[in-house]
Amino acid sequence: MGKEKIKINDEFYDIMPPEYQELVEEATYGKESRGWKDVGEAKELIEEHSLCAGCPESIAFRYVLACLPKPEDTVMVGSTGCTSLVFPHVAVHNIHSLFGNQNAIASGLKRTLALRFPEKVKDVVVLAGDGATVDIGLDMTLQSWFRQEKFTTICFDNELYANTGGQESGLMQKGFVGKMAPAGKKFDKVPLPEIARNSGCHYVAVMTVSKPNRVEKAIRNAILVAREIGPTYIQLYTPCILEIGKQMMEGLQEMRDSEGPGKRFEFKEYVSDEAKVFLDEMDAERKRKKKALRAARAK
Amino acid sequence: MDPKSLVGTFNKKGQKIVEPEYLLFEAPRTQHFMTGSEVVKEAIRRASIDVSIAYPITPQSEAAALVGELYVEGYVGEYFRGENEFAVMSECAGASFGGARVFTTTSGPGTLRAYENFPMWAGSRLPIVINVMVRGVNSPLSIQPDTLEIGMILETGMLIWHAETAQEFLDFLLASFIVAEEPDVHLPVAVCIDGFFVSHTKDMVMMPPADIALTPYDPYRSPVPCMDMEVPPIRMMRDPFVMKSNYISYATHASWQQEVRAACERSRKHTIRLIGGLIEEENADAEILIVSSGTAVAQGREAVRLLAEEGVDVGIVKIKTIRPFPHQEVRQALRNAKHIFVPEFNVAGWMAREIKACIPDNDRVYAGPHVAGGMTMPPEVIVEEIKKVLSGRKEAVHG
Amino acid sequence: MRKRLNLRMSGLGGQGVVTSAHVLATAASYDGRHAISNPFFGAEKRMAPAESYVRIAGERIYDRGELVYPDVIMVFHPQVITQGKCYTMPFYSGIKPGGLLIINSDSPLPLLDSDLEFLDSQNVPIFYIAATTLAVEIAGTELASNMGMLGALMGATKLVSMDSMESAIKDRFGKKYVASGGTATLDEAIKKKFAKKEQLLKKNMETIRRVYDIGAEWAETIKSPMLV
Repeated sequence: MGKEKIKINDEFYDIMPPEYQELVEEATYGKESRGWKDVGEAKELIEEHSLCAGCPESIAFRYVLACLPKPEDTVMVGSTGCTSLVFPHVAVHNIHSLFGNQNAIASGLKRTLALRFPEKVKDVVVLAGDGATVDIGLDMTLQSWFRQEKFTTICFDNELYANTGGQESGLMQKGFVGKMAPAGKKFDKVPLPEIARNSGCHYVAVMTVSKPNRVEKAIRNAILVAREIGPTYIQLYTPCILEIGKQMMEGLQEMRDSEGPGKRFEFKEYVSDEAKVFLDEMDAERKRKKKALRAARAK
Repeated sequence: MDPKSLVGTFNKKGQKIVEPEYLLFEAPRTQHFMTGSEVVKEAIRRASIDVSIAYPITPQSEAAALVGELYVEGYVGEYFRGENEFAVMSECAGASFGGARVFTTTSGPGTLRAYENFPMWAGSRLPIVINVMVRGVNSPLSIQPDTLEIGMILETGMLIWHAETAQEFLDFLLASFIVAEEPDVHLPVAVCIDGFFVSHTKDMVMMPPADIALTPYDPYRSPVPCMDMEVPPIRMMRDPFVMKSNYISYATHASWQQEVRAACERSRKHTIRLIGGLIEEENADAEILIVSSGTAVAQGREAVRLLAEEGVDVGIVKIKTIRPFPHQEVRQALRNAKHIFVPEFNVAGWMAREIKACIPDNDRVYAGPHVAGGMTMPPEVIVEEIKKVLSGRKEAVHG
Repeated sequence: MRKRLNLRMSGLGGQGVVTSAHVLATAASYDGRHAISNPFFGAEKRMAPAESYVRIAGERIYDRGELVYPDVIMVFHPQVITQGKCYTMPFYSGIKPGGLLIINSDSPLPLLDSDLEFLDSQNVPIFYIAATTLAVEIAGTELASNMGMLGALMGATKLVSMDSMESAIKDRFGKKYVASGGTATLDEAIKKKFAKKEQLLKKNMETIRRVYDIGAEWAETIKSPMLV
């Protein structure tokens, strides 16, 4: 979609609500440098959310939307869970259909968009919780990777089923006592990042959302690699403060405490050889452009 | 793009795009002797399909594989084998959300594994056509024809048609896309046939030429937005309904379900135009009627022939669309019948229930004979049952 | 002529009973008659019981599925009878009075006296034909046994014309054909056997023609042959 489609018709401009005028005027569509720093100013993609106050997922959601390289041509696919409470507020096309089938939906969608718009970029991004990605939808998560489907899978890992009240999930830590794990979870956190790497993902990253620069880079890398090469996977720790007994202001600290060396969410990144070449070229290109811009300014 | 504007142009395979009415009624037809699986291939060749997704399960595997050949030949835009039927139907949904004309096939256990998707398709107003080649449902394991699964998908919100012969199968498939995509319908259609009895049986089919094709799907005629980011997105709502246990949430869900069912009812006018009525009557003035759908009707016709040889006058009413159920037509056709027999290829007798629920004096209905698990229903069995009941040797089953 | 002719072909998986049924029905339709053919609905397994059915008539046929009351039963392998590799017991169950049994065997099988008495009482003659032996002799492969069986049927009953059979054979073997995995494998095997497709067609037709003559001769020895 060209961003001109989001412009207000001149003749109707004056009767549109001011907040709508502001949305369109301030929109970051088409801006190459859009990123997490736009959060708080540009609100064309998300304004409100209906998560718990202080939920780290809400900021993760904002980062993801702010970092989409081409929101005007991005379709997102969600699943049931806390994330499905946010999607209705999101102003890119997004699909909620069933619980766990998000990577199947995205497979059909991405292939269709490639078929219908061969000359255009159409990014598909899946965003779902850990229950959807690792438990009920694991088959479809993996199969989409095996098939080399060209879209990005983002998992908001809060290590349990938050929306249903804190039940055990495959990404819960071993020993954690939760609902349906009354004696503590008996087995290890499912190593999905490693599985992703072995299943054909070309870019895999694991982190918390405490460092927005890092999140931004990972999201952009993942989406651009998926666009050009093949499946990519990002796992973001978005703790459920409610279910782990934290206060509204403690989410950020919880993430910081979990990302140190040897911790569960120590930053990890895997890039396939093919993706590495692509990302290096992209980096070099960006540097060239920057240099040229600087040179032009100097004149 | 109005698909009608493409009429007269040629697609990339060199097929001329024609009006559905031309393809169905006017185009010259030639005679072919083929199986139901081959009918699928020939229908899809002429149906301007964008995406088809396949999964093996007897008896639909052959048809699903043949669609793959069409993909290689360039008649179908995208095709792959999914990982299981639940995923396949979701992949179909993704393709349909993205604006594709989508076709898929399944059978028995596959239908049930996919089940959660069907109300979602209807609720999301996805005009996917699914060919259900019915087969028994476990346990015990059976791969044989059995119509039980149709009874299980009746309330999913999909349109459900049941073809009797290979010929009807072809015509139903071609018409189904057009009816499914009408803006006032825009719902999935399950085109059902009896596995093996139609899928694996060679039968005569009058076929329109292969160098014409249906008008393609226009996703921008959909009553809900196509999810391709080619129309400006809106924020759907300030607060998702699922968060609210209040009246507006109930009302939203209830009214949308009503709308889906209303859309199903609105399909009648298009369906009547394209498949010539929701029921088919033959000698329906007779006092004794055989009323059913699919192969049960075919076997019923043979029973009518055998009974006629013995001087017993029996008529046939075939129900072509099970959803929407043709209440008025059935009531009208059955008004003078004294004895109504409903033969079925399933143990439950869902068709008899549907009929009983919509006619007065429903003790006229005899629910049977039934066969299940893949058994054949020889016409002789129907004849015998009718004679038994008429001679008072067997009490009609009520309730 | 019978208003409706029902044929049941019983054999073993891999012998081509399904192919025979489809070819026969196609030939009947070339003759301008109505025909329907279908296999027994089971999982296909090599050397396991396999059955298929053909219905031929001058009017539209609706009946389909497993054929319970056949006019003609063709037994493609002695084991159908001797080892009970048959979906129906006895193998002639449901045969109509005045019907016909064609059995692929080099010599008569040891049927029970009670079987023979029953078939006799129903006026059902048995035509033994060494279809496999003849197939090896004429076409050089036992894979053409089913062609032998078709030839025997045609000779004994004149059910379909030779021209129509030739067209049907061409349809089946002369162009790309839709077949399931097992059948496709056998198709490949028989194609490898013959250097050229034309040779395969020729050998098939030769088998049919030669066995046809044997069938026609046999019919002349019968009091009331079932000529249809």
